[in-house]
Amino acid sequence: MKKAISAACVLVLAGCSSLTPPQAWEKGNLAKPGMTMGSDTLDERFVQHIYSSKENASGGYGVGGGGCGCN
Amino acid sequence: MKHSIKRGRPAASRGAGGGAVVMAALSLPGVWLAPAHAETAPEKGVIAFKYLHYEDSQPGFDRIRVNSPSLYLMTPIGSQWSIEGSAVIDSVSGATPRWQTAVSSASVMHEERKAADIKVTRYFNRSSYSLGVSTSHEHDYVSNALSLGGSWSSDDNNTTWNVGIGGSADQINPTDGGVPNVSGKTKQTGELIAGVTQALSSNDLVQVNLTYGAGHGYYDDPYKLLDTRPDRREQAALLGRWNHYLVGDQSTLRATYRFYRDSYGITAHTVQGEWAKPVSETLILTPAIRLYTQSAANFYATALNDENGRPVLPDPPPGQLNSGDQRLSAFGAVGLSLKAEYRLSALWTVDAKFEAYEQRANWRVGGAGSTGLDPFRARAVQLGASRKF
Repeated sequence: MKKAISAACVLVLAGCSSLTPPQAWEKGNLAKPGMTMGSDTLDERFVQHIYSSKENASGGYGVGGGGCGCN
Repeated sequence: MKHSIKRGRPAASRGAGGGAVVMAALSLPGVWLAPAHAETAPEKGVIAFKYLHYEDSQPGFDRIRVNSPSLYLMTPIGSQWSIEGSAVIDSVSGATPRWQTAVSSASVMHEERKAADIKVTRYFNRSSYSLGVSTSHEHDYVSNALSLGGSWSSDDNNTTWNVGIGGSADQINPTDGGVPNVSGKTKQTGELIAGVTQALSSNDLVQVNLTYGAGHGYYDDPYKLLDTRPDRREQAALLGRWNHYLVGDQSTLRATYRFYRDSYGITAHTVQGEWAKPVSETLILTPAIRLYTQSAANFYATALNDENGRPVLPDPPPGQLNSGDQRLSAFGAVGLSLKAEYRLSALWTVDAKFEAYEQRANWRVGGAGSTGLDPFRARAVQLGASRKF
């Protein structure tokens, strides 16, 4: 498990480019659909509902979802 | 709610009677989600349908099966308003152990949950404000929630701050098979979120959110044996997300880390990585891996078995905190998924996602996992379609 987490971190950090805040005309790639965080609302809700039903941790993404007697 | 009792291996258990859905009060994903970047009124609306089929199990025993159709609609209203809403019906059937992973204590049930939410957003030049309501109804659990949110962007639109507040009021009325004389229970919770989204470069977007929640009321699981939990709970989570665009092959790497801690004494870490890879003009494949680890609640009862391998229940004094809920044990989990999104036209997109997930005590990172529990496995398939308008 520890090796898997380390490998995941390496993959994430790979391909890092220089970090300079973009000018207005340089934001084309940021607007690509794949760059939107949580763009598929129904997918996000399904998976977060499943994880919070089967694990103890929850939160970090939003507020106001209410509760359920879910198994 | 139809139910019948299925008995497996004999267990030294007490109190196993009529069956019903095993329940734990849980928090649903937020209606007000931290915005991805500088908020502007949407130009197009979208309607989406998605169907989830979910199954979970432990070795030799199928547990819960869920079928969920869901609908989502978002539409701009003029240039300064938008409204969005969703609805879902969860059809749940199957069985869950009443104690640890003891199969003999399980019972078969059917349940249906209906939920809906609506959010209205008002947009200004570099800010937005939203109001959301949501409701969820089951035979034995009703929840109503409200949320307010605001986001503000810097002059260059590279930085967006967001703040949200939400509250929910739940009513719990256990049906057949629950702890006797438990009805009319309530629970109230409040949540806060504060975060910032930053464009680090022309190809990098990061987001950091801090959430805090506090509640009081009925937290016990009335369908589990010997389940007595504190009547107050505090939870906090720190989430970091990083999206990186790879210019060379026009794909996106997405990474997430979340730290979680609560007043049950549980600490959890979540790491997730995704790669959204266009394989043609119209098809994007996204493989993903998710790693999770948590410690046990400080009142979690370690599984004990007798010389015949049958579960032995503890005998706590009345009112003493205690729970055998597998979800409060110490374990690690691995999830693998693959999503395919196919653009049929400029307006229509269809998608499919497959996910496999497993929990094992000895996969816990940073300490020993809880002993005496069977591994937990889950599979899920999502099929969806969406149209812009």
